Amino acid sequence: MLAQPDEMTSQLISKDQALRTQALEKLVREKKIEHFPLISAINQKRLYLYDQQLVTIGEPIAADRSDEYQVLKVYPDTKILRNNQGGVMAKKRAELTEVRFSRPARLILLPVLPYVNLVSPKLETRKLAFVQFQQNGNPEDLKILSDARDLENDNYMSRLATETILSIQLKSSKITEKVHSLVDQLVSNQGDNTAYILEQYLEQIPKSHPSYSYILTQKEDLEDRASRIALIQNAFSGVSLGSILIMIALGLSIIYGLAGVINMAHGEFMMIGAYTTFCVQEIFNSISPNSSGNLSFFLSLPLAFVVAGAFGLLIERLVLRKLYNRPLESLLATWGISLILIQLARSIFGDLTSVSTPFVLSGGWEVIPQLVLPYNRLFIIVMTIVLVALVYFFLYKSNNGLRIRAVTQNRDMSACLGISTAKIDAMTFFIGSGIAGMAGCCITLIGNVVPDMGQTYVVDSFLVVVSGGVGNLFGSVIAGLGIGQLTKALEPIFHAVYGKVIILIVIMIFLQFKPKGLFPAKGRISED
Amino acid sequence: MQIKAVFKNYEYLLFLGVFLILLPIGYALDLVSVNTVSLWGRYFCFAIAAISVDILWGYTGVLCMCQAFFFCLGGYGIAMHMLLADKGTGVYGAVIPDFMVWNQVDTLPLFWEPFYSFPLALLTTLLVPLIFAMLFGYFIFRSRLKGVYFAIITQALALAMWLLFLRNETLLGGTNGLTDFKTLLGFDLTTSTTKLSLYLLSCMVLVLVYWGTKKLVNSKFGKVLVAIRDSESRVRYATYRVQNYKLAVFVLAAVIAAIGGMLYVPQTGIITPGRMEVKSSIEMIVWVALGGRGNLKGAVLGTLFVNFLYSIFTSLLPGSWLYVLGILFVVTVLYLDHGLIGLPAQIKSIISNKRTSKL
Amino acid sequence: MRKTKHQLNVFQLLFQVMIAAIGSVLISCSTPSKKTETKEAPAETKTAKIGILHSLSGTMAISEVSLKDVVEMAVEEINADGGVLGMPIEPVVVDPASDWDLFAEKAKELLIDRKVSAVFGCWTSVSRKSVLPVFEEHNGLLFYPVQYEGEECSANVIYTGATPNQQLIPAAEYLMSPEGGAYEKFYLLGTDYVFPRTANKILKAFLLAKGVPESNIIEEYTPFHHQDYQTIVSKIKTFAVGGKACVLSTINGDSNVPFYKEFANQGLSAATCPIMAFSVAEDELRAMDTEFLVGHLAAWNYYQSVSSPINDKFVADFRAFCKKNGLPGGDTRVTDDPICWAYTGVYLWKSAVEKAGTLDVDKVRPALYGSTFESPGGLVKMDPKNHHLAKPVKIGEIRADGQFDVIWETPGLVDPQPWSEYTSPNKSCDHVNHGGTYTKM
Repeated sequence: MLAQPDEMTSQLISKDQALRTQALEKLVREKKIEHFPLISAINQKRLYLYDQQLVTIGEPIAADRSDEYQVLKVYPDTKILRNNQGGVMAKKRAELTEVRFSRPARLILLPVLPYVNLVSPKLETRKLAFVQFQQNGNPEDLKILSDARDLENDNYMSRLATETILSIQLKSSKITEKVHSLVDQLVSNQGDNTAYILEQYLEQIPKSHPSYSYILTQKEDLEDRASRIALIQNAFSGVSLGSILIMIALGLSIIYGLAGVINMAHGEFMMIGAYTTFCVQEIFNSISPNSSGNLSFFLSLPLAFVVAGAFGLLIERLVLRKLYNRPLESLLATWGISLILIQLARSIFGDLTSVSTPFVLSGGWEVIPQLVLPYNRLFIIVMTIVLVALVYFFLYKSNNGLRIRAVTQNRDMSACLGISTAKIDAMTFFIGSGIAGMAGCCITLIGNVVPDMGQTYVVDSFLVVVSGGVGNLFGSVIAGLGIGQLTKALEPIFHAVYGKVIILIVIMIFLQFKPKGLFPAKGRISED
Repeated sequence: MQIKAVFKNYEYLLFLGVFLILLPIGYALDLVSVNTVSLWGRYFCFAIAAISVDILWGYTGVLCMCQAFFFCLGGYGIAMHMLLADKGTGVYGAVIPDFMVWNQVDTLPLFWEPFYSFPLALLTTLLVPLIFAMLFGYFIFRSRLKGVYFAIITQALALAMWLLFLRNETLLGGTNGLTDFKTLLGFDLTTSTTKLSLYLLSCMVLVLVYWGTKKLVNSKFGKVLVAIRDSESRVRYATYRVQNYKLAVFVLAAVIAAIGGMLYVPQTGIITPGRMEVKSSIEMIVWVALGGRGNLKGAVLGTLFVNFLYSIFTSLLPGSWLYVLGILFVVTVLYLDHGLIGLPAQIKSIISNKRTSKL
Repeated sequence: MRKTKHQLNVFQLLFQVMIAAIGSVLISCSTPSKKTETKEAPAETKTAKIGILHSLSGTMAISEVSLKDVVEMAVEEINADGGVLGMPIEPVVVDPASDWDLFAEKAKELLIDRKVSAVFGCWTSVSRKSVLPVFEEHNGLLFYPVQYEGEECSANVIYTGATPNQQLIPAAEYLMSPEGGAYEKFYLLGTDYVFPRTANKILKAFLLAKGVPESNIIEEYTPFHHQDYQTIVSKIKTFAVGGKACVLSTINGDSNVPFYKEFANQGLSAATCPIMAFSVAEDELRAMDTEFLVGHLAAWNYYQSVSSPINDKFVADFRAFCKKNGLPGGDTRVTDDPICWAYTGVYLWKSAVEKAGTLDVDKVRPALYGSTFESPGGLVKMDPKNHHLAKPVKIGEIRADGQFDVIWETPGLVDPQPWSEYTSPNKSCDHVNHGGTYTKM
């Protein structure tokens, strides 16, 4: 038995454009909370018609990618539709008739959208709504806003809500004393847009206004604070860039110190690590589309290490083994390998791909208001610290590390003392390349996965190794942090490109004084 | 005496015979298209650059990863001259080059001025790489950077310069580089005669550069270079000022590479920052490595060989040429100690080894 | 000593043989001698050779391989249908390897040595500029399928991609219209190369002419492969605070993902500040994380989602072709604007050849003028004078599945203007009466 569609439904699904527009305008005019699911569905282009009812689709039903969704009725009442057995009804999108609205039609909903967005489960959407209210500055919204503020339990969001309320009050208030206290409240609230709100207000009032100079000082103080925070943020970006460079340089440095091989394909091991992450994510996605992202990323960290390490091992066995003591030839051979690897990645994966950030690493840590350190960058920094510590303990506290250092210092002598140098070489290559693979895995958090991604960082990491002192762990760490910091410090002043040129000049000048890097290898290592 | 010795050698005669006589005759008889002639002309320009790599790397042991940048400095210089000499013939009919018009630049930047007259342009084009190499080299060699350190610093330089030339603010055409040349010294670049002349000129310059560098490496100066390559500290203990020798050869190599670039651009018709990527510098090293480093003949042979294969393979095996060349390259580095040029000797030693083992 | 060194021995002979071998290869292989030419002459009457000049390796391969695939598909279709003038088409595929110098070299090879009748190729502006003198010198015919910056009018190029007025201007007009949202502030953001620079020059001139105050327009460029958009997005955020702001983006390739990600991270959205992209198509979105892109806009002349029987068949055929030939992606491949126009180019050439009754470039060219083709993107018409294609312009909205919803469309065909009326009002392009670019009186 088919239910007769009600008036709103029939208007919305009618062919007549004028009727549909009328219906939309009615929705906007009435601004009823019962209609919000409907408005939201229209806005997100997820409105469908099923059995003469207006519905939208919810979560995918099954974990696989069968494109079956829950069906939710949105008008006139909201409920999850059930099938004959009483279970949740699952439908494919193709089985539902889409109710399409043109972009201009959807733009009619614009005035009511902030209200709809205010109750959205998504934090980003609510954030947007508050900003929209701030811009509208309509005192009539104050009641709704204060209700909405009470619903927010997130620190940041309630601050934003308070800021919105105060800014509307400020704009509409006429009494001087009130202005004073409102400004004070705004400042102590420490919202993101406070400086801008004050600036707007200053433009609104005459210069002769008694509070003008007071607000001006408050605004300037806020701007000072903002620029100090920007400085810290920038320093943080420098540390995070530096730690990426360190991660790449770590492997490079160990391999060079041991085998005298500058591995031009090192960046490509990073690329291999990144593609491993991508593959793991794809596999997880094909098994269970919902649970991916979280687990897959952390699982791919060790996997990236193993896969990239295996590649490194293979190349060491097949090619580089024959080229020890011929550093320049090995440089060329590894360059040839890097070309082949890039082309290989291109023909297997083709396009640019990206890995989605795991849920726990999205967002950021709010140290103080406005100073947010993104978790993904923090994670990279922590990873770097852990890796450096692990490598340190491995090299300086373990037996194998002792052997590696022995071979690094004097290959022939170590061989005479019964160290299997071939085994040590293989191990070093495995570890060095593996670390690069892990670096690649981490970089998927902030960038794309493309075949030539290794090239972006590898020249910089070479510079890190050179200015830190080849084969020296702490030299690399300090040089990496220094170059990262310098890059980010120069970026706002100069253009990124000119920044690179300046860094090169700085490094050249630095090498005038320390030609062997920060911590040159000590001892009687013959030069020629 | 030297010249006589040169002509006693069959390889040289064969080279000159094929490229100075056979190819032009082939063209005159319409057996070879003018395209092929210019193609080889361009290979010769690369060979000139390869010689510069070889005197640096093969003879002095300094692996420089920015030779393509010097090559491009030469190329850009001559390109700037050609654009200014043809002023008013562009799409916009403006006095300044076309790319500046769309870049909303109205007046010619000051650094373009010297490129109006040919002699001045020639001088500037040679002086710029010379001075650049002198300054850069002075600081680098003074701090005794060498080996892998030097390679990496020059690689970073190549990268930085590439990024700089990609910018439109540098007023050198950005990614699109300089193109649309019509004449050189009044000769129409599209005519076959000009193309043939440019080919012959490149061939002769290659021969001259080869002859000059051959003399150089056989001179006392050259012996010091080889000594530096084999043991720098011992040369230093023998009171030679190593950095001066290195600087001299670095500057010379930069100028030679720039000459190669100057001949290259009129034959190619375009110069873009793509030519100075880190990749192109390494390619030049690859040519030398394949041909046989420390051997000028090898550098020339390697360049002609690799570029010829590159041209052929990109047409015959469009999907897989990269693997073929990549593997060929790795195999050469691994197994041919002296490159292609050392192949006969290597085969000989293998055969004689077998013989001795049989005995 | 010296004498013994220079004495001829067996191994030096070997070396000479090698040089001789190269010499002979050079003469026999890379150049058609007269003898081989006469041998090939009867063969030439049997097939119509065309060149395909798209990078199959290097940085541009990602984009260009699809164009090579679709041209090969068109050739296969035409050959199955009896070929052209009774001859099968023989595609000659070369790989210019994203090396701009090699583009010129390969163009010469195709025109002189392989003697192809037409070339389908190029993507980047620099590759086109590199081959342009070659085509003009040897009177070749290049079909160029990508949207480009205009200000060019060569007798030897057929531009099947959009001119600025077929993409940029309608997009800006749409955004300024009440229907599009009546935006008043425009942030012009692009990668630093010739297309964005010219595009933004034209857009700026257009916006100023429409009365947008200069303070409401910001122009900005980033280098290729730029990843860190933090600073720029916060600038956009400040710019957009007053409302009614939008971004016109000519950002290229892999910089797009970090840009859109950062845009969403800083709380901007398509509802408040839409990004209108001119260089993001389905092929780029194929494997991108589209989460942050949904709702933003793009302007093209064709989308895979265009609903017409011809397009449905085209999309299905392309997938089947890719699957059949084992191409990467197989039957999940998508079509997009350049792919559509590369395909259209082959058919335009075919019908012109049939109309002219010959493969001769000078006869094919006039036969192209005014010809029409029912392309997957709708009916298109060659301009009677200027070597460009008149076609409809469509505004698309990015969907979560990497496809576009067409939300607006020009009512009819938009005539191509290689010279924008806003930046070069007195210039025009006419090959029939003026022999190319001319200055209007």
